[in-house]
Amino acid sequence: MISLGHYLVLGAILFAIGVMGIFLNRKNVITLLMAIELILLAVNLNFVAFSQHLDSLAGQVFVFFILTVAAAEAAVGLAILVLFFRNRRSIDVDDINYLKG
Amino acid sequence: MTFGTPEMLAVLPELVVMGMALGLLVLDLYLRPDQRGITFALAVATLAVAAVLAAVLVPGEARTLLNGQFLHDRLGAVLKVFLLGGTALALIYGRRPLQRLAMYRGELFILMLLASAGMMLMASAGTLLMAYLGLELMSLSLYTMIAMDRDSIPATEGAVKYFLLGSLASGILLYGLSLVFGASGSLALDEIAAHAARAGVSDPLLVLGGVFVAIGLAFKLGAVPFHMWIPDVYHGSPSPVTVVLASTSKLAAFALLMRLLVGGLGPMAEQWQVIAGALAVLSLVVGNVVAIAQTAIKRMLAYSAIAHVGFLLIGLASAPTSGYMAPVLYMLLYTLMGAAAFGIVSMLDRDEAPARTIDDFAGLSRTHPWTAFLMLILMFALAGVPPTGGFMAKLYVFQAAVEADLVWLAVFGVLMAVIGAFYYLRVVKAMYFDPPERTLGPVGDRVAQGAVSVNALAVLGLGILPGPLVELSLFAVAGI
Amino acid sequence: MAVTQAIFYLFATVLVVAALMVITARNPVHSVLFLVLSFVNGAGLFLLAGAEFLAFTLILVYVGAVMVLFLFVLMMLDINLQRMREGFLNYLPLGAVIAFVLVVEMGAMLAAGGSGAVVGGDGALGGTEAGNTTLLGRVLYDTYLLPFEVAALVLLVALVAAIALTLRHRPDVKKQDPGQQVRVRREDRVRLVDMPTEGAPYAPDTGATGSKGGEG
Repeated sequence: MISLGHYLVLGAILFAIGVMGIFLNRKNVITLLMAIELILLAVNLNFVAFSQHLDSLAGQVFVFFILTVAAAEAAVGLAILVLFFRNRRSIDVDDINYLKG
Repeated sequence: MTFGTPEMLAVLPELVVMGMALGLLVLDLYLRPDQRGITFALAVATLAVAAVLAAVLVPGEARTLLNGQFLHDRLGAVLKVFLLGGTALALIYGRRPLQRLAMYRGELFILMLLASAGMMLMASAGTLLMAYLGLELMSLSLYTMIAMDRDSIPATEGAVKYFLLGSLASGILLYGLSLVFGASGSLALDEIAAHAARAGVSDPLLVLGGVFVAIGLAFKLGAVPFHMWIPDVYHGSPSPVTVVLASTSKLAAFALLMRLLVGGLGPMAEQWQVIAGALAVLSLVVGNVVAIAQTAIKRMLAYSAIAHVGFLLIGLASAPTSGYMAPVLYMLLYTLMGAAAFGIVSMLDRDEAPARTIDDFAGLSRTHPWTAFLMLILMFALAGVPPTGGFMAKLYVFQAAVEADLVWLAVFGVLMAVIGAFYYLRVVKAMYFDPPERTLGPVGDRVAQGAVSVNALAVLGLGILPGPLVELSLFAVAGI
Repeated sequence: MAVTQAIFYLFATVLVVAALMVITARNPVHSVLFLVLSFVNGAGLFLLAGAEFLAFTLILVYVGAVMVLFLFVLMMLDINLQRMREGFLNYLPLGAVIAFVLVVEMGAMLAAGGSGAVVGGDGALGGTEAGNTTLLGRVLYDTYLLPFEVAALVLLVALVAAIALTLRHRPDVKKQDPGQQVRVRREDRVRLVDMPTEGAPYAPDTGATGSKGGEG
């Protein structure tokens, strides 16, 4: 029997991997973006699992909107990244150091 | 779902802003570059009209509309007036700076309008879904506006940092929202509050969700230890956008906090007191101490913003006992102070020599006496010196802390305020007691000068006569 | 039931492994591809939990559009792969410890809070008369109309942002404007000038090569 707990623990593991990816990654801004996508996947799993558990469509609707916003966020983020790259010629995380502080 | 006249009147401010954003998007295509002022004027007018509508259409009592998605209450109305007013001011102050930065484009005004729409929706969020969507609408617009100064390395770097940390914060907040949904079975904030009242701390999912929501909100507000993005982003972003970041977007984050933590998880507020107090202490220490070492004016004001969030947190920590009037009053005053201070900084920028460091303010009393006087008021207000509004805001916060038996927190706050006065007074000293080193150009256009004068004088006036604003804050939080 | 369990564990395992590879892969293109794998497995898990529409939307929209966008941008940026991957190992022990503690903590709380419910299998949310998609569609335009419109605005922001940020008009590139070309009037292009002739008219039998005035 796959219980709600299974899904939630899986979500927690994905969330932890995503957060770990943000703090461990020192080389590549695109990997940071992908770690954020993993966090969103964890959230989506949570919502879908709760939706089934509570027999309510609300969770699934929320996932629908999260997908929309995540797509928009990816577009904006990549546009900003392209701009940054054009100025700095690098997407190395350590090169985001012009502003000290 | 019913969408009759009462519903339309309730969302009219939002509809106006959103509709005009779409209209201006099309209109701007037909205008020549020298006619851009029309788009600008229309954008400012839209914000002004929406603010008036929000003030006029304030409801007698709180109700949720549109299947519970939209919460129409007094707090929302008051916050919306300040959100819209602050953004309008940011546009007015930013006119000359935007032209100088080659950012005077139709897209910027439209993004400002959409960001305002997002802020308004955050203030009226009736469900977790609307809270998230409003937050993202505002955030995406802000990330873009910062990056629109696209040839500047500080600006694009600030945009990348803000985007990464902001998205991370949204992700953490969202994870918390998912757990809160799961625990309470509904997205609607009032049903969540009912569940919190019933189960409260005994529901582990709810508590865990609440923790993640609080972390996400702390990021957005800029409380320590989630403050790392603030100095770099405030410093790097183009000054007109920094005005919005420092004043209205903070107020919007506060609105979200009121809706999610107070409206949704309010019955668990006592549990947050200790955490809020701890975060307050950390923010005050980091903000005040590090600000002393700063020479760049925007960076100094950024750390001061972190310190101010500390004072706000003192008010929030005391709120379960003393009510929410003090934090609301503090945030409303801070929005005014922040908008004016960053506005003056943005207007003093010039082509070859932007006003970047405190030394650039040297001798301002001789070259621009009126501006120096306004800056004096604002520095005193931010420091909390009577008789400015800043002093009143801090007074009410400390009073609330004492009432809530958090005397140690109030004493600590006073101590930090005294320490913090140092870096504000350093600017005043430079303006009045140092010889002018560089000549800064004329300060913005006439409308902007008039507006910032009114803004700063209002801060002074509200310190002498705080009554109206106190009444307004009490009016806003009645029923919470 | 055992089959469902096996499928769940299969998807879950591949998902976790792929996610770990996303953040540890040396080559960013590999990271993106592993992320695609994660999402496909995530879609499988959605299917098990009765969210059919979302599972397919995840693959169509997320993998099909967003991940492809990631790959495009990655290819566009000229990345120096030599300098990558230094310093990861310094943080790894601390990071792994933090992550482990986080997972154990959360797992304990979540397992306590969510036991006893059955997830997986029959897509009961869809009911028997209307499928998952139909129900979602009905509720999206009715109960959730305001969020729907706001989501549309969010997409508009992304659209405006992408263009406003990255579109540059090169000053030295000449373009055609067909609308303008069509609007051209004869009066703007041709001007008939009456000029007196100069010199003798052209006489073909002299074989003169120089031109002697004439129409111009």
